[in-house]
Amino acid sequence: MRLVIGGYAQGKLNYVLRSYQGDHYMVTDAAIPSEGQLQEAVAENKKIIINHFHNWVRERISKRGNPEQEISSLLENDPEIIIISDEIGNGIVPVDVFEREYRERTGRILVNLADRAEEVVRVICGIGQKIK
Amino acid sequence: MVVLVIGGSGSGKSEYAEEYIITRFPGRKKYYIATMQVFDKEGQAKIERHRKLRSGKGFLTIEQPVSIEQALSKMERLPEAENIALLECMSNLVANEMFSTKPPRPCEQVTERIMQGIRALDKGLKHLVIVTNNVFEDGILYDETTLEYMRAMGNVNERLAVMADRVIEVVAGIPVTIKERK
Repeated sequence: MRLVIGGYAQGKLNYVLRSYQGDHYMVTDAAIPSEGQLQEAVAENKKIIINHFHNWVRERISKRGNPEQEISSLLENDPEIIIISDEIGNGIVPVDVFEREYRERTGRILVNLADRAEEVVRVICGIGQKIK
Repeated sequence: MVVLVIGGSGSGKSEYAEEYIITRFPGRKKYYIATMQVFDKEGQAKIERHRKLRSGKGFLTIEQPVSIEQALSKMERLPEAENIALLECMSNLVANEMFSTKPPRPCEQVTERIMQGIRALDKGLKHLVIVTNNVFEDGILYDETTLEYMRAMGNVNERLAVMADRVIEVVAGIPVTIKERK
């Protein structure tokens, strides 16, 4: 698993696609792949790119899901997967409880993913900085 | 010596700062200067989480929400400034110094008070690690009071970074060195 993080509109997906030219891939938007998509990816030798991962976390928190556990079990079999997420923690701590929880939990999930990732890249102005 | 650790919410900056001190000064007495004031259950939970992270790691906690230099008088006097401390977190200290008066203290005064305090701490300590917060990049146009707070945070961070021998940004738990004095 690889993790790509960065601010809003920094060209993270383009950065990833540039480095996978010629490869087969599938992109899910603010969603983790379904069982069917996982099977398809294996059968057709496609790389999985989860774009807007932070929006998926937000959605799961708002639906009282368990994003920590859900992403963890997806990664259990170590599939070839690229996770792209906005960095959302670099701001004033919000007054709203949900917004605070969203930032805090997304941050912790990203710390955990970064720890498990083979590679972590931070993208700014479309340029990737490999930090791990 | 001052080390500045900066990161966003949930970035893992506290864990990194604690680890930083523990691995460099194993088996030594360390002070934890806590600046957060508790007003509610959520604040209480946050403090509990941090206490758990620190427990068994040899930290002695000093609560110092304002006038940070006073933390020195609460430490055991070791010869030749041998004490080591972790200050957490600058964002609370700035808020406390700014909003503990009515009307709030202006940015320049807050910066001045804090920098005086930090200089005193730096003199009295062997090693000071300061955790601060990146509150600057959410693109929201806040009200004037919040902007004033952000300016104070920015000024303090800028001046701390000048003092610091080392400045480290923590990104998703990964330390990225911003400044390293050779």
